[in-house]
Amino acid sequence: MARTQSARAAAAGRDIVSRPAAAGVPKSRAPRSRRRLRKAVELTVLIGPPVVLFVGFVIVPMIFAAWYSLYNWSGFGPLNDFIGGRNYTGVLSGPVFHQALEHNVIIAVLSVVIQLPISIGLALLLNRRVRGRTFLRLAVFAPFVLSEATTAVMWYELLQPGGPVDAVLKGVGLGGLVHYWLASTSLVLYTVFVVATWKYIGFGIVLLLAGLQGIPPELREAAAIDGATPWQATRAITLPLLAPTIRIWIFLSVIGSLQLFDLVWIMTLGGPANASTTMLTYQYINGVQRTQFGYGATVSVVLFAISLVFALAYQRYALRRDTAGALTRAVM
Amino acid sequence: MRGSRRPVIVAVAVATAVAIAACSSSSSTSGTSSSSSSSSVKVTLTWWNNGNTQPLLGVWQSVAAAFHATHPNVTITVVPIQSDLFTTKMPIALKSDNPPDIFQQWGGGQEATQYTSGKLANLSSLSSGWISELGPAAAGWQVNGAQYGIPYDQHVVGFWYRKDLFAKAGITTPPATIAQLESDDAKLKAAGFTPIALGGGSRWPDAFFWEYFAVRLCSESVLQSSIKAVNMTAPCFSQATTDLTAFMGTNPFQGGFNATQAQTGAGSSAGLLANGKAAMELQGDWETSVVPALTSSTTILSDLGWFPFPQVPGGAGNPTAVLSGGDGFSCTTGASEPACDEFLQYIDSTGVQEELVSKANVGLPANSAAEAVLTNPALQAAAKAHAGAAYDAEYFDIAFPTTAGQALDNALADFFAGKGSNSTIINSVSSSSGH
Amino acid sequence: MTALPARLGRPSPRRGAVRERRTWLSVPAGYLVILLVLAITLAPMLYMIVGGFSTTAQLNANPNALPHPWVWGNYAAIITSSIFWQAVYNSLLIAVVATGLAVALGSMAAFALSRYAFRGREAVYLLFVAGLLFPLNTAALPLFLLLQQVGLNDNRFGVALPEAAFSLPVTIVILRPFMRAIPGELEDAAIVDGATRLRFFLRILLPLSRPALITVGILAFVTSWNAYLLPLVVFSSQDHYTLPLAVASFQSTYTQDTARVYAFTAVSMIPALAIFIFAQRKLVGGLVGAIRG
Repeated sequence: MARTQSARAAAAGRDIVSRPAAAGVPKSRAPRSRRRLRKAVELTVLIGPPVVLFVGFVIVPMIFAAWYSLYNWSGFGPLNDFIGGRNYTGVLSGPVFHQALEHNVIIAVLSVVIQLPISIGLALLLNRRVRGRTFLRLAVFAPFVLSEATTAVMWYELLQPGGPVDAVLKGVGLGGLVHYWLASTSLVLYTVFVVATWKYIGFGIVLLLAGLQGIPPELREAAAIDGATPWQATRAITLPLLAPTIRIWIFLSVIGSLQLFDLVWIMTLGGPANASTTMLTYQYINGVQRTQFGYGATVSVVLFAISLVFALAYQRYALRRDTAGALTRAVM
Repeated sequence: MRGSRRPVIVAVAVATAVAIAACSSSSSTSGTSSSSSSSSVKVTLTWWNNGNTQPLLGVWQSVAAAFHATHPNVTITVVPIQSDLFTTKMPIALKSDNPPDIFQQWGGGQEATQYTSGKLANLSSLSSGWISELGPAAAGWQVNGAQYGIPYDQHVVGFWYRKDLFAKAGITTPPATIAQLESDDAKLKAAGFTPIALGGGSRWPDAFFWEYFAVRLCSESVLQSSIKAVNMTAPCFSQATTDLTAFMGTNPFQGGFNATQAQTGAGSSAGLLANGKAAMELQGDWETSVVPALTSSTTILSDLGWFPFPQVPGGAGNPTAVLSGGDGFSCTTGASEPACDEFLQYIDSTGVQEELVSKANVGLPANSAAEAVLTNPALQAAAKAHAGAAYDAEYFDIAFPTTAGQALDNALADFFAGKGSNSTIINSVSSSSGH
Repeated sequence: MTALPARLGRPSPRRGAVRERRTWLSVPAGYLVILLVLAITLAPMLYMIVGGFSTTAQLNANPNALPHPWVWGNYAAIITSSIFWQAVYNSLLIAVVATGLAVALGSMAAFALSRYAFRGREAVYLLFVAGLLFPLNTAALPLFLLLQQVGLNDNRFGVALPEAAFSLPVTIVILRPFMRAIPGELEDAAIVDGATRLRFFLRILLPLSRPALITVGILAFVTSWNAYLLPLVVFSSQDHYTLPLAVASFQSTYTQDTARVYAFTAVSMIPALAIFIFAQRKLVGGLVGAIRG
């Protein structure tokens, strides 16, 4: 909903510019063409360098990598075995790939349904002026700083049969819950999800805290004056104002779920028997380990296509509404 | 910034030390180093090896230094890289303009795949004078009959067992047949131990079992021709699956073995053996370099014994055949090939081989003349079995081209985890499967 | 709503004695939740830190017990090793350059994409988003070849520049909505006062976007700090190794020195956490003050 003039302007495709200058205020009105030139120069300066850097180091390699998908290539030697779309039929019809895709989708859905409420709750908690707030934020953020590789190694040790996790469960009397966390084909994917949640909560917190910064406390005060409970205030004011940030979080989280690799690879190698395989572990096994580089590139292109469909759909239906921080009008 | 000066100072100090060490004749190795190479042009060889931790790190440094002392015009730049990283770095390096001059090689089908890059140097003529020292092992490092890699050690796979646990379970001699192994397993279980530790999470340990059944059941000619043709339709392979299934039915492994890694950490299969929770593990001779780090017991190496994979009655395979592999190096075409060949020859000389075995614990030497230096009785038993083997069967995932070999490992790991059947195993090596 | 307030950015004084009703945080349940969260978050990290005081053999023999002799050797060896400090230096240098570039260029692009209208704007935005969707590990080989051609091989900038490029999408995706939310009235007022758009960008928009800038800065920094594949592919000489690569020096062909890996990781987290604390303090402020008054 376009609530500010600036937002409306942006939505309408016009620059967010001033209203016509108030009468009597002197303003050099440069001729239209001069202004257009000025705008073009500004845009070039602003957009040029990022685009150049980006196209050079990201887009160009991407295109080359996609090019490899048309070949049967081991990664060694020359590219001389052109097979066109055969890699694609192989990938798209492969049952293991379907399994991998299913796993990625499960993790993406779970992350929205489980990680998001936890992140929001924690961000709200950590936004209050509590004693030791910095320490609390640090503690919740710390797992995010840990590299994926070390997280996986550490949790692999923790989840061993008879290891620390099992010991803790037994210690608090929940011994009946002990399972083969990594060896059970029915549990392993969810074990991986729990570890990923542990690691990435910090990212969500940082993002949501930034979003919360933009919400003036007076709004809640006003609500309090009106007799609202804290929970009502949260529901009616904070959450809607946080919605744009939440929508970004969902977007990044789903993309991240689709690209999950390091954590899974080190803990389970996508196993046992493909029970925790993701599209990128599938890609690594086939593309790198089995030296079918062209096939691996195909998986990446397919993954890209899937992500693109999601991104486009999400852009259209969810993010379009964020033309405003939905902030200023409410205050007026 | 805090660390800004210190690393520079330390780096300079380290560089100076390395330079001094590299150009001084400090090594006491008495190797049969060849006479100075015919060229007197200054040559620098970049050497990517997987000795990134001690003791191998230090041994390779001193080998490079000693070689430089006898060949002053050749300087070797040692670049240790953690073993797993080679899978990622080698394809990229071989695609670039200046791949390393010497790099870690595991032979077999992997080498054949790398050969297609066109960057591997053909050492056949240069090494013809001395390669016979290495015996039949060197054949596993050829591609199309030409020598593209040269081994420096050999590995043989067999059963490592805890003599103390066997004694506690009342087992006096190691089993010679599968049936005896199964009854020993029962005795061990009764005594409260896991009979066999299996690193199913790492995938390749599963393969050892199936491959050994195949080696025991397939005749040498069928085995060699099947591997060459990348085709496992011969009936003995399916028989291997049947026998393996029966063996697995006796539940000899630890619980949750599908997620147990082979060598990393507390719950690894090597760790279970090291800490006396399991009595046996089917592994290569590298076990002696793995287990000491996994336990605080100082007597672990003397607690270990070794016996070869048991016989399968009625099998057409040669009873002394062993599953084996090795480590080696390849030279790239941009390198100075005479210098590279001389360096690899030096590494295979008796003195350096002895150093590798006794100080760096690499396993069995490629040059059997150095076997006299082995002190661990279990290793000696392994060396004896290897020396007496009718033939070496290279582990299939190395013998096969990489694509097929990896597919086989995965199919076998899936089978152990309860997914798949004999046909998924047999068909895994054909190019369109496994996806 | 009027012209630009003079005390932009500073919170206005509290008016009256209005206080929110007691929040549920003051109730024990709130504290309980926090304690539980802390336990779950910190316990594994503590396990790792304490594990660094053990030996790998001990960890393997009994993973649930505290170290029996507490061994200082691991931490000591790391803090005195030149490999570690060299890797810290490399990681820091690369992360600072990558973050600086990503935030600078990203905010420029986000500004243009949020407050200018031009043909192809959404296409440019989508171009950046596309970069987010393609996994780095396939692009690694062509990227390596490209770096070789421009002579950035085995060069720290050969890692920092691509890292900055790969961080641009996330930066722009996060910054764009934040920048859009800043009211046009501020810009009007600035222009009335004679400022150019670019000056508005530098003097007003950026300071107001501080929470978002800090956020993307932290994300870019941590991403660079933990980056593994790109440095692996680019660097051949060990003295260029970053921290994640240096960890591999404790892993041999057959075994992993788990205790030392834990100690190493525990120490390598310190710089990134320090940056977080520092940046975190600056997280407050921004738009709030601008609205009032």
